[in-house]
This record gives sequence, structure tokens and C-alpha cells, in this order.
Amino acid sequence: MTVAGVDIGSNTAKAVIMDNGDILATSLIMTGHQSRLAGRRALDLALREAGLEEGDIALIVATGYGRLTTDFTDQKVTEITCHAKGAHSVQPEARTVIDLGGQDSKVIAVGENGKVVDFVMNDKCAAGTGRFLEVMAAALEIELDNMGEVSLESESPASISSVCTVFAESEVVSRVAEGTNKMDIVAGIHQAIASRIYAMTVRVPFKEKVIMTGGVARNIGVVRALEKRLETSLVVPEMPQHMGALGAAIIAEERAGA
Amino acid sequence: MSVDVLSRLQDLTGDPYSYARAWKGRTGGKVMGFYCHYAPEEIIHAAGALPVRITGENRVISDSGAHLQSYCCSLARTGLDMALGGDLDVLDGTVFVHTCDTMQRLSDIWRLDAGFDAHFDVVLPGRMEGDSSREYLYQELGSFRDRTGEYLGPVDDEALKRSIGIHNRNRVLLEEMYRLRRQDPGVLPSDEVLMVVAASAIMDKEEHNALLEELLGTLETRLSGGGPPPQSSLCKGEEKEEKIRLFGIGSVMDQWEFLRMVEDAGGTIVDDDFCTGHRCAGAVAPEGPDPIESITARIWDGALCPCKHAMSRDRAGYLLERITGSGAKGVLFFQFKFCEPHAFDYPHVKKALDEHGIPSLHLEIEQGSVSIPRLRTRVEALLETMRGA
Repeated sequence: MTVAGVDIGSNTAKAVIMDNGDILATSLIMTGHQSRLAGRRALDLALREAGLEEGDIALIVATGYGRLTTDFTDQKVTEITCHAKGAHSVQPEARTVIDLGGQDSKVIAVGENGKVVDFVMNDKCAAGTGRFLEVMAAALEIELDNMGEVSLESESPASISSVCTVFAESEVVSRVAEGTNKMDIVAGIHQAIASRIYAMTVRVPFKEKVIMTGGVARNIGVVRALEKRLETSLVVPEMPQHMGALGAAIIAEERAGA
Repeated sequence: MSVDVLSRLQDLTGDPYSYARAWKGRTGGKVMGFYCHYAPEEIIHAAGALPVRITGENRVISDSGAHLQSYCCSLARTGLDMALGGDLDVLDGTVFVHTCDTMQRLSDIWRLDAGFDAHFDVVLPGRMEGDSSREYLYQELGSFRDRTGEYLGPVDDEALKRSIGIHNRNRVLLEEMYRLRRQDPGVLPSDEVLMVVAASAIMDKEEHNALLEELLGTLETRLSGGGPPPQSSLCKGEEKEEKIRLFGIGSVMDQWEFLRMVEDAGGTIVDDDFCTGHRCAGAVAPEGPDPIESITARIWDGALCPCKHAMSRDRAGYLLERITGSGAKGVLFFQFKFCEPHAFDYPHVKKALDEHGIPSLHLEIEQGSVSIPRLRTRVEALLETMRGA
């Protein structure tokens, strides 16, 4: 039986096609301003990669903030449940999921069965999200994808006291004007994010093992800063951005088989 | 018939001060605003005035920004903004009950800047236990009766006893509405329940009592299967699942769209401890020879606001009992940002819920910047967890 999970996030839309527990195809595109179309395009892309048509799919589950506006999916499940499910499938020992996406951040406590026990979510401000890092990368004129590596070279991270994107940007600009090294500023930004996320993990509270999902997990600097702050090592899956779509596909499989 | 009652109440809650304007035009009486459910409405009513509750509204702050810091709750900031902007011009005066620091300071700013004819403070004891506190409360209510009497006209015992009777009737009828909902939440969705309670604080109580009686008659018919089927007890979609019962905890609940979203997502707030909800129901003033003593007893023994302290009364235990009694399987904390009394209570209550295996969700909102899709993800995630997704 073939199923699909589609995760329409604020920044990117992802699709995962599964057949009896095996991933057949994945896709990832920018969401843009029409989230409904982005979900459709992500699914079509994955279908093409798998050499399948929509009629071959037994059940499609949508997740992510764009889930409610889709008309081509059979069921809708929140990204909180889906990230827990996806993370559990790649790391069954994970009891905490830290998901740092494009526009929000979540800390999810997961039970032994992969089900959500508790969660906290920040979607009011961009602190600790991909959008925050995008703004900082632009302010520092460095590539987003290079931020992680650059920050690892820092020996004395700069102090960035604000995690509000607007205020942090002006703080970063001040540091640049002072002549602080870029690597130290980037490392300071990552530390600020780690402090912010740490405050969220305390509210759940977090248990080991901790798995990190979402696009920000691709930034090794944030991962290391979080490991230092949490005093534990983080598991970063091979495709951290696809964990929501993977979870949606697993739920689709469970429900289609039920 | 009840459809008419409900649509009337919905119109009222959409434009809460239109009723007061019409009432004033009709009777020539005075309209007195108040913020808190502890306000002794009976005394205002007995003086021939209309007590009208102020609960702020969803609006962008303009004038009040110069008077209140952004760390004050939106209830205070939007309410003051309405007063300064002339939206509360129907009021002749305002009664402030001392609950939290913000409300006490708001009272000072309001007295100096809002420009109403009359202004009264009712300073309740912070600690609601002990003989001296109770005696103080009794004296303060008596003083309020004398002070308002100078402005609104004297209130004699007989008039006050009559008002107590009318207000008691209202509380009994509201409690009955809650009882019917606990029996079957499908008889009335939670947004309509809270609208009915909200209307009781902005319209003449006798008129509200008559509407409530009519409504309760219809609800009883529905429950016995005689009327049109409950419209909202089941979720949408092909698989009709019973809605998940939730219990609401918070102060003012005036976010109708939020409540409808919870219903749409497959949950329902079957009972609550909102101060614009169940805290207005139930506890009646025991009728006796001294009406001020009756009101004292009602406030003293009634539901305890997180603003008040009583070592002998375990708030978590009280809430657990109410939650269990309502059949709720989960709890929604609906809290105004910067509401310190509720924030102080939260860890204690949450711990008790965790110990009893009751899942809960803490939502923090500000009037004027409520984003339903964001709240929906959290509510749906809670419901998914409760369904064992």
C-alpha cells in the first residue's frame, strides 16, 4: 500500500511517499505565497520521482501550517503529532523532539510509543527560527548554509542579548560596526538561539535522547550551541526537514491499514 | 424560540453597550461600569442603576498607550482605550474592585483621566479568610452602599433584598444551564454558553432571567429528544465522533471565534472557571435580615479568584473536583498575557493536573492580537494527543 505525507511549512513544503514502511520518494520546494499550491507541487514532484500517479496513493495526510487550506489531502494532522511520529520512526529512543522550522519552534516530549506527551510552541516571534537566521545571514552578508561552519571557528562568541529578530539585527549591525569578527557574531547568534530554545525545553521538561528536526537542524553551529546548553548530544536525522512529512506518511499508513 | 433568544444575545455581545444606551434612553437611569465579577452588582441595581461589565475588546491600542505600560494586560489597556476614546460614553460612573495591582492602578488613571461623573473603589481583602478579613469585607460593602447612595440615591434594605433575589435567581438559572451542558454538551456550544453569561453582565437582570428561563425550557426539550437535534455535539465529517470534553481556566473569555474553533476542531469547553463564565453562576447570597451580610457571604463563600488568597482553600483541589464532575478529560488554560495572578496559579494547578494524568494546554493571548490558526494548531495537537494519535 502506497501513502503520502505532505508538510506545508511557512518556508518550505515537503512530501514523502511511502510504500509498506519504505520511503519511495521525497521532495522539498519553497512554499512561496500560495501554500495550497505549494503542497500540491511538492506532492506532484515526489510522485514524479517515484514514477507514480495520484491514483496510486491510498491515503494522503497533510500537516504543517498550510494543512487546513489543502483540498487534495484526505486527512489533516498537526505538525506536532507528525514531527513526534517522524522523529520516533528514525530514532525510537528519542524522548524529546526540538523542531526549529522556518517560522516557529517547538519542543515536544514523546512517549515510548512515539505519541506526544506534552509540547511547547513558539510562533509569536521569529527567535530561534529559520527566518531569524535568514535575517542575520543577510545582515552579515554570508550564505545561510555557511553559518554553521563559520561559527565553529569562533573562539570568543560575541554577546547577542536580544533574540527578537528586529532588535538582534540592530545589535548585530552594532557589533559589525565595532569590528567584531563575523565568526564570533555568528557564534553569538547561535548561542542566543540555544538559550531561547533551552528555556522552552525546561518547560516540557526535556528527557534524553533529544532529536532535532526542521531546517535549522542543518546548521551545525546551532546544533553544537544547543548541545552545549543542554549538556547532551543531539541526534540529527539525515533529512531533518522531512520529519513532519515522514510522520504524516506514517500516520497515513496506519490509518489506511486500519 | 431559543434561536431568537440566542441571536438576541449574540447581537448584544457583538455590541455590548447598545443595550445600555437603549436602557438609558428608556428609563433615564444611570449606567455604572464595572470590571470584576466581585463587584456587588446588587447594590448598584437596587439604587436603580444598570451595572454593565467592561471586558475590554479586540482593538489596537491608541490613547491608553500613554497611560499604561505594555506589560499591563490587554483587558486593562483596551478597556482604558475604549474609555479615553469615548466608546464607553454611555457610562455615568465606574466601580473598581481591587483584585490585582494593574486594576488598582487602572482605577487611579481612570478616575483622573477617563472623565466620568462618578468613581468608586471597592477594596476587597487580599486574603479571603479569617474573621477580621470577613468583618472588613462586610464594612467595605456597607461603605460602598453609603458612597454609591450619595450619587445614585439611597438604597434601603427592602430594595436591596429584592435585588439580591433577582441576582440569586440569575445565578441559579446560569448554574442550571451549566448543569444541562454537563449532561450533554451538545445542547448548546460553548461559545453560546459564554455569550449567555456575558449578556447577564450587560443587561437588566430581570430581563436576562426571563430570556434564560425561555432558553432553559428549550434546552430541556432538546435533551429529552423533543426538539431539533443538538446541532453541534458531534464532529463534522463522515465518522461522527463525540466531541472531547475540555475544562476552561482563565479570567475573561470573550473570544467567540476561538471557542467556535475549539468546537470545530472536535473539542468543547463543557465547564469552566472563567470569571465571565461559571464564576458568575452558582453561589447565591443567602437571604436574611441583613442584605449586606448576604452579599458578604456570597463573595466570601463563592468561587475564589486567583487574585485572592486563602490558605484553607486549595484552588487546585477545587478545580480538580470541578473538572472531574464535568466529565472533562483535558484542560485549556486561557490566559491573558501579563495576568500575574493567573500566572502565579498556573504551576501549582498544572502540577496537580499532571499528577492526576489530566492533559492540559496553556494558551496566552492578548485582546486585539488573537491569531486563531496559531491557536488551532495547539488545540488540535492537544486533541490528537487525547485521542491517542
